Amino acid sequence: MSIDIHKLQFNLDALASRLKGQASQRRNRLQQAIRQMGYLNGQVINEKRMRGKFAWPIPTFPSNPTSHYATMLPPQDYSVLATDGSRIDIDDELPVKCALLNISKVLLNYGFTPNAELSSESQFFTEDDQLFFTDTSSTRSQILDKPLLGLKSSVEELVSLAELAENSNSKVPTLALVDGSLILWGQTIQAYPDYISQILINETFLPALDKLKKITSSRPLILAGYISLPASTGVADGLRLSICPYEPVSCDYHCGHLERGKRECDSIGGFLDRDLFSHILQPGQRSDLFVSTSSIVREYYGGHAISFYYLNTGEEIARIEVPKWIAENENLLNLSHSLILDQCEKGLGYPVALMEAHEQAVIPQHDRELFRQMIEETLEKEHVSVYTSQKTRSKKLRSL
Amino acid sequence: MLSEHKSPDLSRIGEVVEATSISFTVHCYELHLGAPLGALIKTDTPEIFAVVNNVSTSSIDPTRRPVARGQDEKDSDSVYLHNPQLKKLLKTEIHALIVGHKDNNNLHQYLPALPPRIHAFAHHCNIDDLRKFTQKLGFLPLLLEGPPTLADEITSAFLRQAALTHPDPDSFLFTSGQEVAQLLGNDLRRLNSLLRRLK
Repeated sequence: MSIDIHKLQFNLDALASRLKGQASQRRNRLQQAIRQMGYLNGQVINEKRMRGKFAWPIPTFPSNPTSHYATMLPPQDYSVLATDGSRIDIDDELPVKCALLNISKVLLNYGFTPNAELSSESQFFTEDDQLFFTDTSSTRSQILDKPLLGLKSSVEELVSLAELAENSNSKVPTLALVDGSLILWGQTIQAYPDYISQILINETFLPALDKLKKITSSRPLILAGYISLPASTGVADGLRLSICPYEPVSCDYHCGHLERGKRECDSIGGFLDRDLFSHILQPGQRSDLFVSTSSIVREYYGGHAISFYYLNTGEEIARIEVPKWIAENENLLNLSHSLILDQCEKGLGYPVALMEAHEQAVIPQHDRELFRQMIEETLEKEHVSVYTSQKTRSKKLRSL
Repeated sequence: MLSEHKSPDLSRIGEVVEATSISFTVHCYELHLGAPLGALIKTDTPEIFAVVNNVSTSSIDPTRRPVARGQDEKDSDSVYLHNPQLKKLLKTEIHALIVGHKDNNNLHQYLPALPPRIHAFAHHCNIDDLRKFTQKLGFLPLLLEGPPTLADEITSAFLRQAALTHPDPDSFLFTSGQEVAQLLGNDLRRLNSLLRRLK
């Protein structure tokens, strides 16, 4: 049966009314938060964080977190590399376990000899050594379930990006763009045993970063992760430390018993980083660099520690992540700023290279159905019985 | 995705991507180029002749539409210069009506038994091809078929181009006009309109 539209509308009206009532309060809190950020000494925040126990993960702040930088004109000749991935997860409804990753590669050359190369390549996982991550020191193994295949996709995208960079002999500034974070999702990967991190990060992800860093040492290659509409709150949460009355900070000890909204720091809390920077950065400007303190980065990344800045692309506030060896190179950092902005302009609000990488990687619904159909037909041809669950069958038939 | 490499045969326009008994569509190697309206083209093996009756340029992916990109550019060439991916994402196709074929080196001005194969190469016809093909006008009923306005436009464009390959173009056009008059005698308005286009 369809949803109760009238009940839904009633709830939506109540929600809209509540949001409207809260809007004014929220505006006042936001203005207060932005004012507070203007007074902030980032070093003080960093020291407070290190001395205390803070409920929210916050990055290392620059000394003036409201610093902003205008962009330079991009060079006329430059290249962009981008990869993206799409996947078909293991389907328990199929009689065989198999999965698919489709990784795209995009190369765009601008300037004297404009050119584009767009392609994608599929990886099929059908054998046990492809479908399971195995701990070599024990009998443990982990099947390539949905979240793990997502992590693997992120890793393979970076591996492909490194290959693309190696094969490109371009001497002009080259932007290597990743869609999303350069930090493998902490909570997702930490849900798995350590040997998964060993395989994905140490044996695959970090060597790809090493390759990219090596290329950067001989020609201007800039690796950056582009996060559109970032939901991060690290900087906004760091503001809370600035008005916390306790020394050392200990959120659970001092405020664990208080309701949300009743804590001292709630007067400037509850915002996303992009809410703040949308009021600090003019179109085209970027913020200063913050350094990620993610546990995954601290534990595994070594010389590839990740920094980030916020960028007003004109259409949105994006978060740009770069490894340490880019962050510490002023020329390459500035190039990341100007090239990403140029890409956003060409892409009408989003980096065109990432947009094309996505289009090359995406697996349309009819291809997904064809994938399933081909498996069923191939198995039937070999007289392997094909079954489906009664639940799926009932969904297809929808009998009365 | 078609390669940007130049074809070794400069007369090659592209490849057949759709074919029926009466027409075929060619995906052109070069964006915005191909063959003009009314041009005579041919496929190879077997040689099938056709007259271009539509040229279109569109997105390779039907779910993606081109959008305006040149607000700040000085001209449309600059749009392509600054967006190199566009040439890989757009395609130019020509649609052509079959008007004849060769069989054991004999030219026939009627439909072949079978249409060209998919991926058959399509070529420009040179002056010699066009003159030889239009020594006889038996193809005219095939060209005049279909919606009249378009059919007349294509027919007159083709005959005007063919006339230039004959030693006496005016004489060729006069003869063509007589042939058209026999075929469209019952529709004087259409006939007059087409004959005016032959001048």
